[in-house]
Amino acid sequence: MRIFEPHAHMFSRVTDDYQRMALAGIRGILEPAFWLGQNRTSVGSFVDYYDTLIGWERFRARQFGVHHYCTMALNPREANDDRVNDAVMEILPRYLEKSSVLGVGEIGLDDQTKKEEKYFIAQVELARKHDLPILVHTPHRDKKQGFQRCIDILRDLDFDMARVLLDHGNEETIKITRDLGCVSGFSIYPFTKMDEARMVQIVLEYGVERMVVNSAADWGVSDPLMVPKTVVKLRQAGVPDADVERLVWHNPIEFFAQGGRFDPAELDRPADVDMRETFDGNSVLRGQDPDKT
Amino acid sequence: MSHPPTPHPLRSLLSGPAVTPLDRLAAEGPSVVPELLPALPRKAGAALLGGGVVERDVGEAVAARVDLDAWRVCDAVGAVLLEEAEVDDETLVDLYLHGDLEERIIVLRALGLRPVTDGTVRLLEEAQRTNMESHFKAAACDSNLPLRAAAHAGFGSEGFRRMILKAAFLGLPEERLLDVERGADEELSRMLQDLATEREAAGRAIWPGTSLLIAHAPTAGSVARVVGGLEHGDDRLRHAAARGLLRLNRRDLEPFAAERLPREPRPAIRELLERAIRPD
Repeated sequence: MRIFEPHAHMFSRVTDDYQRMALAGIRGILEPAFWLGQNRTSVGSFVDYYDTLIGWERFRARQFGVHHYCTMALNPREANDDRVNDAVMEILPRYLEKSSVLGVGEIGLDDQTKKEEKYFIAQVELARKHDLPILVHTPHRDKKQGFQRCIDILRDLDFDMARVLLDHGNEETIKITRDLGCVSGFSIYPFTKMDEARMVQIVLEYGVERMVVNSAADWGVSDPLMVPKTVVKLRQAGVPDADVERLVWHNPIEFFAQGGRFDPAELDRPADVDMRETFDGNSVLRGQDPDKT
Repeated sequence: MSHPPTPHPLRSLLSGPAVTPLDRLAAEGPSVVPELLPALPRKAGAALLGGGVVERDVGEAVAARVDLDAWRVCDAVGAVLLEEAEVDDETLVDLYLHGDLEERIIVLRALGLRPVTDGTVRLLEEAQRTNMESHFKAAACDSNLPLRAAAHAGFGSEGFRRMILKAAFLGLPEERLLDVERGADEELSRMLQDLATEREAAGRAIWPGTSLLIAHAPTAGSVARVVGGLEHGDDRLRHAAARGLLRLNRRDLEPFAAERLPREPRPAIRELLERAIRPD
C-alpha cells in the first residue's frame, strides 16, 4: 500500500530508516520543523536547519526513492526563548515561499505560555499571508486543555479549519476535534502517545474521514515504521483497504496539497534515485560504488 | 556592480504570469526578491523557453552567449528579476546559498547573461564543489560562462580546466559546452587524456568530447588518440575523432581518413572524413 508519512523528523534518523520506509511503501515524507533536543542559541542555527530541510534532507530522501517535503516554523518550545524568537520570525517569510514547504508548522502550544500564544498567533497570520495550511503541535501535558486553547485561538483568528491539522491527538481529543472540520492527527509511538491497537479502536469507532496517522519519529524512542505497522493492524481488524488508503495516503496528501505547492501526481512514482549525485560535495555512499547500490 | 546599459535581452520574451513577479518587484522593491525567487517555478512556470542561442554584450572581450533551448521560463524570469533588482554580489551569493534546489539552478543560469564578477566566481566554485549534477549543468552547460570566467583573475584558465574536466567526468554532452574549444590548451588536453586512459583501464566509456577538444590544443599522445578513435566501435566517439582529425588539419594524417572512409557506415562521419582528405 502507498503511504504518505505526514510527520517524521528525518533530520534525526539514519539511512536505514529511509531504506526500510521506502520498502514498507512510504513514498512521501513531510518533515515539520521543530526543536532539536536542545535549544538553539542564535538565529544562525535555525537558518542552517531550515537550509538542511529544503536542501540536504530533500536530496538524501530522494537517494532512497522517497519524496521529501517540509513545513517551516518557530516551534512552540523555542518560542519561549528570547535569544531567537523574534529573529526567527524575521527570516521565516523567505522560507515559507520555498517550493518544498507545504505548510506552517509545527506551531501551537507546548507549555501553554503567553509567549507561545503570541508566536502561534503571529504564525497563523503568516500561514494566511503565504496561503499555506498549518500543522499544530498540541501539548503533551494537560493535553485536553491545550487542545481546546489551540482551537479557541484559531476560531478567534477566523482561520479556515479545513487548513488546520491538529496533531498528537488521542481518544479524548477526537471527541473535541471530530466535528470541527479540521484534520485530526495521531502520532503512533512504541510506548507513549498512541499505539497501533488504540488507533485501530479509534478508526473502528470514528472512521477515517479527516484523520491522519504519523510516526512523529525523531531522536527519541520512536519508530519510523509506525504508519505501515498501523496499516497491518487496521487490515487485521477488517478495516477495508480503501479506508486504510484514505487514512495513510489520500488524507495527508489532500491536506498538504491545499497550498498549491506540489502536484500530488508527482507521488505516483518513487523519487528518482541517482546515487552518483552528491549534495554540497556530500553523498550517502561512504565509498560504495554508486552503480552497485 | 555596474550593469550593462541595454535592457535584459530576455525581458521582451516574457508575458502573462511570467511578468507578475517583476511587477511585484517594481511595486515593493528589491527586499522582496528572497520571497519571489523560490516561487518562480510554480508561479511563472517551468516550461522550456526555447529560442536558440542569444548573445549579449556585457562589456567583456567575449559576448555572453546562452542557449535558451535549455532554459525554462522561470530561469528567464529569474535572470531578469535579479537584474532589475540590481542585486549585488553579496545578495547573489546569499540567494544561492539559502536557495532550494530549484532556486540554485535559476541563480546559476542567470550568471550566463551577467558580467563575470567575484560573486560569479564564488558561485561557480560552489557549483563545481557541490557536484549536484543539475546545479553543475546550470553553471557549466548551455552558455559560454566558463570561457568568460576564464578571463577573470579569480577563476582563470585553471578554473576553466577543472570545470571542463568535471563535465567530461560526468559525461555531459560536449555540444552543451558553448565555445568550449576556445578555451582549449595543452594542459586541458593532458588532463582529458589522463582521464580517458584511466577510464579505459577501468573498462569504462570515455567522454566523446575528448578527441575534439584535444585536437584544438594537441599535446603528447593527442594525435594517436584522435587517429585511434577513427576505428572505435562507438559512433559518437568515432564522430568526435573525425571532427578532431579535421581540426588537426595535418596532411600526413590524411591516409588514416582515406583508409577508414570506404568502411565507414555513418554518412555524417563519411562527410567529415571526405573533408579531411584534400585534393592534391
